[in-house]
Amino acid sequence: MRLAPLRWLASLLCIGVASCTSNEGGGETRNGGGTLVVTVPAEPSTLFPPLVTGVQGMPIIGVIFDRLAEIGDALETFGDRGFTPRLATGWRWAPDSLSIAFTLDSTARWHDGQPVTAEDVRYTFRVYTSDSLAVDVKSLLGNIDSVSVGDPRTATFWFKRRMPRQFYDATYHMFVLPSHLLDTIAMAKLESAAFGRAPVGTGRFRFARWDPGQRIEVLADTANFRGSATLDRVIWSIAPDFSASTVRLTAGDADFLEMLRPENMAGIARMPSLRILENRALGYSFLGFNLRDPKNRSRPNVLFGDVRVRRALTMAVDRERLVRNVFDSLGMVAMGPAPRALISDTSAFTPLPFNVAAATALLDSAGWSDHDGDGIRDRNGVPLAFTIHIPSSSVSRQRYGVLLQEQFRQIGVQATPLTLENNAWNNAVYERFAFDAFLGGWQTSPGLVGVRQVWTSGGSGNAGLYENAVFDAHVDSALATFDPTASRRYWARVFQQIHDDAPAIWLYEQRTMSAISRRFVTTPLRADAWYAGLADWRVDPALRIDRDRIGRGTPP
Amino acid sequence: MLRRALLRFAQGAAVVVAAATIAFLLLHLAPGDPATALGEGLSPELRATIRAQYGLDDSLATQYWRWLQTLLHGDLGWSRAEHRSVAAVLGDALPRSLMLMGCALTVSLVGGMLIGAWQGARAGSRADRATSLGLLIVYSIPEFWFALMLMVVFAHHLRWLPATGITSDLYEYLTPGEQRLDRLRHLILPLTSLSLIGVAVFARYQRLAMQESMALPFVRTARAKGLAEPAVRREAWRAALLPVISITGVMLPALLTGVVFVERVFSWPGMGYTMIRAIEARDYPVVSAGVILGSAATALGAALADIARDFADPRVRSA
Repeated sequence: MRLAPLRWLASLLCIGVASCTSNEGGGETRNGGGTLVVTVPAEPSTLFPPLVTGVQGMPIIGVIFDRLAEIGDALETFGDRGFTPRLATGWRWAPDSLSIAFTLDSTARWHDGQPVTAEDVRYTFRVYTSDSLAVDVKSLLGNIDSVSVGDPRTATFWFKRRMPRQFYDATYHMFVLPSHLLDTIAMAKLESAAFGRAPVGTGRFRFARWDPGQRIEVLADTANFRGSATLDRVIWSIAPDFSASTVRLTAGDADFLEMLRPENMAGIARMPSLRILENRALGYSFLGFNLRDPKNRSRPNVLFGDVRVRRALTMAVDRERLVRNVFDSLGMVAMGPAPRALISDTSAFTPLPFNVAAATALLDSAGWSDHDGDGIRDRNGVPLAFTIHIPSSSVSRQRYGVLLQEQFRQIGVQATPLTLENNAWNNAVYERFAFDAFLGGWQTSPGLVGVRQVWTSGGSGNAGLYENAVFDAHVDSALATFDPTASRRYWARVFQQIHDDAPAIWLYEQRTMSAISRRFVTTPLRADAWYAGLADWRVDPALRIDRDRIGRGTPP
Repeated sequence: MLRRALLRFAQGAAVVVAAATIAFLLLHLAPGDPATALGEGLSPELRATIRAQYGLDDSLATQYWRWLQTLLHGDLGWSRAEHRSVAAVLGDALPRSLMLMGCALTVSLVGGMLIGAWQGARAGSRADRATSLGLLIVYSIPEFWFALMLMVVFAHHLRWLPATGITSDLYEYLTPGEQRLDRLRHLILPLTSLSLIGVAVFARYQRLAMQESMALPFVRTARAKGLAEPAVRREAWRAALLPVISITGVMLPALLTGVVFVERVFSWPGMGYTMIRAIEARDYPVVSAGVILGSAATALGAALADIARDFADPRVRSA
């Protein structure tokens, strides 16, 4: 984007003057101002918060909408510790802790000027738990019985059970919706409502425009009850090709690129106009084993049904070396079925060590030897050979597949990487369970509730069908106890148990590296949401460029 | 003549229906569905809800019949991936692709015919051989690679032209004149990527036809009668148009394929970009509608080329 022509600058000045006189705050005259262009690989399918599932939509709805209270930077989910008021100015726990009454900010307004009411909160809960909509987080709201309206400023959440994370459940998963704009629309029709492409929220940015396939723009909400955002506008600009995204960034057409790839790091680091931001990772990747027979799930898997085989395979993998090979310094060995950022004490349990001799001995003792001299261990005529299902979208996992193949080969195990198109991979692993092993990864929410969803018996993401009643009990206890010390103790047992059972090999966590123009002064990034402090990002006045001086005026 | 045209259009309609049906069936037979396409983090319950909402659990025959009924009522369906009607999705994408393809076809046709005619008039000369070699090289370059190279050179290194998109991110804040200039600047790289290979193709056909035409007796007669050389070449060129008209119809499918790559590289949100996204998302109605449009455009192009050739060729016209 070139904004150099004099005519263009003149028109910008006119806009600036016009916006100053209309008290809109021109970029030249305030300490704030500026335009942030974020380059992204895809656009969201909708901006209707309950239906936003992918990573593309969250940053946008996260700045347009508000929650009742916002989680702290430490991502503490115990009680209301660390939470800060957002739409609610305060909250009151019932003596039995089975209800929480939220008092709404009396100055809070929707972007159309209407006041935020307790009815909005009740309506929001109805939408998020509606059977007519496919809402991803609905299953996480199961402990909330209902929401009642005391007066227009008080919404009370009623819970089925007293749980340590009930405050988190009530606040984190739901963005409050404007009932005055939506409640005349049938629930089943909300998906197709125009609101999804022109949302009205309460955040410090308001929706401005969505050019399909091109960009989504939000503007600072100058009348916001929490104060206007410092930046004038943020534009999410869509470039499906990653190379095109990096070119846009290095050419100065874009200012921010989330999730850099290792191969781009050196080039970006050399660019004087850019700097690199690191955020804590909330994801982990693993090699998951199918513990049941893919053809008959009532039978144990002939290879991985035996814990000795799983433990031997785990000990045969030099995970540290694999991380260095694939990610260099941009990755870490995963500590278990949760990212390090969420594990309170990683020294409280002991993962299986890298020990090829022990792995070999364990396989020998389990009866897996190379009886026919073909270099592959076998038992009762069954070779110790399996395929690893890998999604084609992940270059890192494909590299891991090849490296794992080599490491397993050294102990006489034949692993064959099988790269599949994403849908085919998803279908084979999570729908039909028709796989031996797969390279999977999870992005988690704050708290360790994801461990239950993925790894306990009957967990919705438990593709390998790992089952251990002791593990399940420890997870339940860890999530149910109100005593933080006891919780830590239970979690240590959880992680130790799953390391001992080895239903998967915990491979890596990827460091989240982003690139941003040096013009921007940012706030610390929150691990679950880099955009949480976006309204307070600003442009260094000395480094402003043309697009930072447009101000907040409307287009000519 | 009219009967031939009607027959040609009927054949085109049959091709469109067959292509759309095959696309519908193939996509349904591929692993996964819109519920699995949402990613690995989705609960089985949510997947079941989505399948129930969209009737994805019904038999293939039921789904096909439902889709056909909707289509016959003039409704292209609902896009699950974009949460809006397929007509709205294509309404955004189609004009963008048509603009790109229309410009590319025009540039390819005009450029190719000019170069080919120029070469054919002096076939065998050093200039002809050099030009042929250059065109062969252009023809051999993969479109996506060529597009990436253009982007790296002109957007990254020289910074003369924008790398991606149809317009700049601050397009709304430009004056109408600057908006037109902005659109033009964004068009240059994708258009060059898409049309250069077309230029090479048309030039090769035009050169051969021109070369053959220049050897025909009427050219010799025209020269013998003292007609000026430019006029002779003009007459020879008119006689050499038929193969180029024929190849224009055939070029449409190639252009459709090329536009998919080019749109991807330059983030041009047209039909190619939309179709790739729809296939990844198993967005059946969008893919089917896209195939209908693509095959209709191809059939229409071929039919129009036939008709144009009939008009241009007096032998066929009189038959």
